[in-house]
Amino acid sequence: MRIACPFCGERDSSEFSYLGDASPKRPNFAVDSPNSPAEIEDAVFDYVYLRANVAGDMREYWYHGGGCRSWLIAERNTVTHEFKSVTAAPGAGAALAGQAGE
Amino acid sequence: MPDFTWETQSPLRKALVVGRHGAGTGAAGVTLREVRDIALVQVMARRGQAAATAKAAKKLFGVEPPTSPKAVTAKTATLIWSGADQFLAFAPHSGDEFYAKLADTFAGIASLSDQSDGRCALHISGPRARDAMAKFCALDLHDTVFPVGAAASTAIDHTNASVWRSADEAGEAVYNLLVFTSFSDSLWHMIADAALEYGLDAGHVSAVQ
Ligand SMILES: [Zn+2]
Repeated sequence: MRIACPFCGERDSSEFSYLGDASPKRPNFAVDSPNSPAEIEDAVFDYVYLRANVAGDMREYWYHGGGCRSWLIAERNTVTHEFKSVTAAPGAGAALAGQAGE
Repeated sequence: MPDFTWETQSPLRKALVVGRHGAGTGAAGVTLREVRDIALVQVMARRGQAAATAKAAKKLFGVEPPTSPKAVTAKTATLIWSGADQFLAFAPHSGDEFYAKLADTFAGIASLSDQSDGRCALHISGPRARDAMAKFCALDLHDTVFPVGAAASTAIDHTNASVWRSADEAGEAVYNLLVFTSFSDSLWHMIADAALEYGLDAGHVSAVQ
């Protein structure tokens, strides 16, 4: 399997580490659940532990540790292993304006 | 207070056996050199400071650092792309002078890390250099894909390496490798093994002319 790093070009997948689903958002207590401790607990549990076992297109984090050491977000089909896109994760490259920790 | 004097030792002092090894007796197909006496600094732009870092580098070196996997040669240093908004500045060793100059230039806009003794620099050249490298490096090193000035951060033998291509006086390809010092002994053996069937000429050179 080869992955096209937006910085380095196409490389063998052995240069990359897989983190998993890029969709879960860290709960923002002030906005999401300012009043209820139970809601906070549920949201944190979901964020830390619950993952969908997707058969199909999935957004996921990959780390190019064997290359440019950037965090990437890939859209990959988990059934066919086809990569539809690979882009820099927010915060990859200090100059990019995106917020880290999406 | 006792005075300490630090003596730099080559990480290859055991692995590197100077001379002609492997197949044949004539000219070696692969020439492998450790490059000693280097100064190497990792420069990483801080958030939002990439443009300022490039500008400061241009003022110091006379060239802008590469923004894609390339190596650019300036008068006093070679700047090698090593990731988004970061590069390695490679120069002949000059005491603490090189680092001090960079620390001054990039104060407040980029983070520096002195890698002069953290990395080991190698040169691979010769008519069969690419055949030997094909055994351990997954990069496409064809002239049209990886010409002089091309660079890459990649994994070689399970460890990270910076690779870039330059040319010798005769215009022949020289592949420059920067590998972690602590892995260089093992990598040297692996590269030598890959080169033996083409005839290997092993040795070392100094970056200081
Ligand atoms: Zn990369």
